[in-house]
Formats: sequence, C-alpha cells, structure tokens
Amino acid sequence: MPIDREEVILHMSKVQVAANRDGLIPAFGVFVNQMPAAFWNNFASRLVSRVDPDVLPAAEFLLVNCAHECGYHTGFGIITSEEWNAIVAPYVANVEDVLHGAFAVLTAWGWADAEIAELVPGERMVVRTKAYYEADEGEAGDSGRPSAYMLRGVCAAFMDLAYGGEYDPTGASGLRTFQCEQTKGIECGDEYGEFVVTRAED
Amino acid sequence: MTTQDRPELVLERAIQPDSKKHTVNDEVYVLHCHHYATLYTQLAEDARSIADGPAILVEATADTYRHIFDHYFADHDITDVGDRAAIVEQLFAAGGLGQLSFTGVTPEGGAVTMEHSHLDEGWIKKWGKRSEPVNYITAGIIAGAFGSFYDVPNDSFVVEEVESIVAGAENSRFTVRKA
Repeated sequence: MPIDREEVILHMSKVQVAANRDGLIPAFGVFVNQMPAAFWNNFASRLVSRVDPDVLPAAEFLLVNCAHECGYHTGFGIITSEEWNAIVAPYVANVEDVLHGAFAVLTAWGWADAEIAELVPGERMVVRTKAYYEADEGEAGDSGRPSAYMLRGVCAAFMDLAYGGEYDPTGASGLRTFQCEQTKGIECGDEYGEFVVTRAED
Repeated sequence: MTTQDRPELVLERAIQPDSKKHTVNDEVYVLHCHHYATLYTQLAEDARSIADGPAILVEATADTYRHIFDHYFADHDITDVGDRAAIVEQLFAAGGLGQLSFTGVTPEGGAVTMEHSHLDEGWIKKWGKRSEPVNYITAGIIAGAFGSFYDVPNDSFVVEEVESIVAGAENSRFTVRKA
C-alpha cells in the first residue's frame, strides 16, 4: 500500500532520542546531536557573507557536501532502523516508497515539511517544502540567494540511497551519484522551497 | 563539581503544528549527526585562509548558546555561577554533545574538562585520531557560557583547548582566561 505520510509523520514524530550517561546519543549507526537550528544557520550565513565572491560557490558547495555526506550515511541508518521497520516498512513495496517514507521522516523530525512533487525513478526528483529551519535565518525574503544547503545535500543523498547502488559505508561509491539545485526559496521570498535532483553527470 | 545541590535542567519539548519544527524551551532544535558536525568543522578549517573559518565557528556557536543560556537563566531565575555552570553541563549532555565539568570558575576564567565528546569521538569514528584539537564548537559553547555567567561579551574570555580526546588524551581540557 502507498506510504501513509500523515501516519508516518504522526508516529515518527514521537520517536525520541535521549543522551546516555556519557552525554552521547548513539542511534541509527551514528552519534546524534540535538542543537539549536540557529547554530547551523548562523555558521553558514556568516561564512557565506564573509568569503570573497569568487570563492562563494566553493563555500556553498562545501556546505551542501556536509549534508550530502551526512544524509547518505545517517539516511541509511534511518531506513534500516528498528523505528523505520516498525512504522514505515509496512507501507514499503518498492524503492519509490522508501523515498516517500524518507521525506515523511524528514518532516516528522523537524528538518523540513517536505514532499516529493515529481519523481522520474532513477533520474530526477523535485521536492517542495513549505517550512524548513534553514529559511529561518533573517526575515523571509531577505536573502539574495537560495541558502538551504542542508536540504540540497539531503535530497541528493536520498536519491543516492535509492538509485546509487548498494550502500557503501566508505562513501567511495553511491554517494554523489546525484546532485541537487535549489530553484526556489522561502528565504528568497518564494512561497515554498523547491529542490531539483538530477544525476551528477548531467 | 557536585550536582547534589544544583538545579536540575528543565526541558520543555514541543512540535509546532504548522511547520512540524521541534522546539526545546521554545527554541527550534534539530537532530543531526557526527558526520554533519565533523564535516562542518572540517569546512571551517578548510576556510581558515579565506574567512578564518574556525573563528566563525566559535563565534557562531558562542552567540547561539549565549542566547540559550541567557534566556534559561532569566526564565528560571538562576543567578549563582555554580548553578549556571551546572545547567550548562546538563544542557551540553542533553544535546548529545558529551560531558563537561567546569572547575575554578571566577570572573578571571577557569577550566573545563570534557570526559566524553560528540565531536572528538565522532571525528575518531569517521577519520581516526589527529594531533591538533578540533572542537571549536565546544570552545564556542564555553565562551558563550562564561559570557553568560558574568553578563559580559562572549569575546571577554579566551578559550583554549589544551588537551584533546581526538589526539588520544583520556579527556579533553579547556583553559579559560580573561581576554
């Protein structure tokens, strides 16, 4: 049966991760942290505002890459977790269902209220989001350029996991099979954020 | 520092119904992983020559957490410096960042020991050990904490990581002195 997005969001949003006695949160095959969204936004916005314009693309690429690599490894941990198996897996019949489920989890855990708007399996995906923490830096519409670097990276990573071949914990293969551009942004004054994922060699 | 007589951290968690964003004490918080935190840190180092990336990372962290600490201390009427330090230790751990212990805290500075570290242990897990300190994020949190303890600007103190788990030390250790 198709992913029941609202059910997944409802149940996955109740999943809590708590620190152990060492002050660490080992979960989903990684160490998890829970920090103010403002921290991630503050660093990114200060960095891009202080580099020379000629190196800005490189700085932005690196910001996206942080999330691309994180999304690949942690994403794999999530879609193979006990929580996923209990809540999402019953709806999964194919790879496309995994993708829809992954974006429901993305929403449930507060990264972005995001859904797949278009999907050409193995080739192209368009994601739209009406709320995401990366748009919170400054006032909506203030930013002169799209700046949802985390979402760009994660969208590409999810496509890597879906169509980039077997998961490679070294990241030497699979990771970066796809790339993502942000074509609309709430931070730029648009109604929603839009992310277009295509194959990296395109 | 014993926590027996110290205040216990209060965290009120909620989810905004419209945006689905998660909040802790009315502040939007997000979950990320050691991959993201270590890559952000590596990015800061890569940007050292073009924008003093490590300094930006410390500054951004200090400013973010200073806001958190100031509001918490005001909301809960916590004025004693020892109590404030105990709250910072608990906030740090609750965020999965590890274990901090503040000692010798005075307006002139102090010392902070870290027995476990999300950043250092995540770095080792991802890339192995390295000889130089890497925990700009914790340095920023400590700077913001001292600023909040004494209601002074965050850059009033110089925080230096003098021992590091990432370099093989049993614990990380930070010194804090007046700038």
